[in-house]
Amino acid sequence: MDLLDFARGPALYFALAVFALGTLWRLLGILLLPWGLIRSPAREGSPSPFSSALKGIVVKLWPHKEFMAGGFFTFINGYIFHLGLAIVVFLFVPHILFIKNLFGISWPGLPSNVIYAVGVITAVSLIAAIANRMTSPVLRLISRVDDYISWVMTFLPVLTGLLAVSHLGARYETLIALHILSVAAFFVWFPFGKLMHAFLFVFSRAMTGVRFGHRGAQL
Amino acid sequence: METDGQATAPGSALALILVREIGQALAAFAESGEPAAIDLRGLPMSDADREELLAWLGDGEIAATLAVAGRSEIRETRFTGVWWVRHFGTDDRIAAERIEIASVPDILIADMADVTAAAARFDDELAELSIPPSMEEAEHV
Amino acid sequence: MSDRQTVGDILAQRGVSRRAILKYAAWLASAMALPPSASKAIAQSLAAARRQSVVWLSFQECTGCTESLTRSFSPSLEEMIFNLISLDYHETLMAVSGHAAEEARLKAMEENKGKYVVVVDGSVPLKDDGVYSANAGKTNLQTLQETAKDALAIISVGTCAAYGGIPGARPNPTGAVSVGEIIKDKPVINIPGCPPIAEAIAGTVAYLVTFGKVPDLDHLGRPKAFFGDTIHDRCYRRPFYDKGLFAKSFDDEGARNGWCLYEVGCKGPVTYNACATLKWNGGVSFPIQSGHGCIGCSEPHFWDKGSFYQPLSTAMPGMGAGIAAGAAAGVALGAGAAWLARRRQVAYSQQTSKKEGA
Repeated sequence: MDLLDFARGPALYFALAVFALGTLWRLLGILLLPWGLIRSPAREGSPSPFSSALKGIVVKLWPHKEFMAGGFFTFINGYIFHLGLAIVVFLFVPHILFIKNLFGISWPGLPSNVIYAVGVITAVSLIAAIANRMTSPVLRLISRVDDYISWVMTFLPVLTGLLAVSHLGARYETLIALHILSVAAFFVWFPFGKLMHAFLFVFSRAMTGVRFGHRGAQL
Repeated sequence: METDGQATAPGSALALILVREIGQALAAFAESGEPAAIDLRGLPMSDADREELLAWLGDGEIAATLAVAGRSEIRETRFTGVWWVRHFGTDDRIAAERIEIASVPDILIADMADVTAAAARFDDELAELSIPPSMEEAEHV
Repeated sequence: MSDRQTVGDILAQRGVSRRAILKYAAWLASAMALPPSASKAIAQSLAAARRQSVVWLSFQECTGCTESLTRSFSPSLEEMIFNLISLDYHETLMAVSGHAAEEARLKAMEENKGKYVVVVDGSVPLKDDGVYSANAGKTNLQTLQETAKDALAIISVGTCAAYGGIPGARPNPTGAVSVGEIIKDKPVINIPGCPPIAEAIAGTVAYLVTFGKVPDLDHLGRPKAFFGDTIHDRCYRRPFYDKGLFAKSFDDEGARNGWCLYEVGCKGPVTYNACATLKWNGGVSFPIQSGHGCIGCSEPHFWDKGSFYQPLSTAMPGMGAGIAAGAAAGVALGAGAAWLARRRQVAYSQQTSKKEGA
């Protein structure tokens, strides 16, 4: 068994099993908790919890005016690499084929050179994000090991993917094997670190919305 | 032979690179007499690249067709000493294609081993014609 | 055979001139990616060389490799290879059989001790003392060890000899191994493919005859001249891959338009071979040009890498059960964690209400 077979087989298999286990564990562990725990009566005239939840999710997509000046770069850069990742992960044809093979669903992809360009932008944006994190005194203070590991786990698949497509550094089959292994590492880390925010941000923002709405506070 | 200089410059990047390489090799040959050859089959040439290069190099004074293990074609280009050499298999598939920079491509020159063999064969055939074969002639064989 | 004579002498007797050797050398230089100016020296050294004694051993194989070498060649230029070598033993091609054939092999080995080349097609069975393939009362292992002992080099022709191939595919009932797993003290050149391209076999043999040494090999023992690039990198359909234009099935619009076959399982990106440049049947076509994806036949264990029609970027088969098990365990753990949390909550609220009551 060569490296590529190992990556496409046992490594990926193990990683996806851990991913499924960890993600469901955390999601169900949270979602099966009793709903509606806020016992106090809602402020008069406050919106329904459902609309508060929706508002919480939507409003938080954009920062408040007061935070725009200081956090503009973090905010825009965050959008760039999140969108970039989404495009590269879900619109590159080989990735779509991977998903189709697992779940049987597929959709049209983008040309490989477009994906490549987006991948480069994403990589640059990720580097900017970590540079910002490491140079900003406040961010440094609130960063934990988890933040750095999560960054590495995100960056490696992007880097190895770009190297594989451009045949840089090693033979293609080695690079693609490393790419798949880095994705496997991403899947293993995902449920146990901050990467889990990809699922949890919806619930945490909704919950924030509900709590604010309940008290009649403005979001 | 450079009189028909109105030939348009090759548009393809690959043809242009090859033209420069040929030019350098030709200059070196003119100066030192060092022949050179450029293999065209190993390059990712499209038919269009080939046509452009061929058109730009043009036709010279000599064109030869060889019947050696299949057909071969040799043409001098409008630049003396620059030869376009194409070797075919019997099914007319190109087996080798190269630009040679030389006085004469080697394959046109009669090899002395072949000449010796030809001389021997000539003698043999002459001997068959002569009646009767003499002892001296037999010694030559 | 006239062993004292040079290749040039023998060719001259057959009415083949030195020009033909020069032409062959031009072809060889081009095929092996040697500097074109080397062809004159190659021709001179070929003409002066003795014919290379070749012993061809056939083990667990289908004779497809011999078919590739002998049938797909156009006559004239490429058949020159048979003038360069003295094929002293080849079960399929030789006229004699039985003891006479074995004697021919032993005689060639004796007379060309240390100088003959052994070509092997087919894998060697090791299980149960190698009983699964034997001839002339000897197992393939015995024949190979005996013949390879005094050889100059061994050329493993075809994926079976190079990497075990189809006999070595799971469950490998005969315990088939490659030649390279047995012969460790001689240079072994692998020319894999199922079958290999005839020019790759001929070019490598000709290189060995001309230079008396092994050509540059990659990490899998393959001559870089023929196995230096992937099919994908040299494929004429590559622009469609870059543009994201793919055939989704073998009879759709994309297939008719000649788009990239990645989605229908082409293994071109990880397959190193010269099919896209040298092509097959005298340069007529190659699998991708004929509308089928590359199956990766020149790579080790190509038979065991999942379906030929499964895209390269997908996971290997047999993943479902483990992931389902992981998911089930996740559901159980999540539900369990939530249940524990609820119990704690209930206990806490009972405690606090008791306190309030007290």
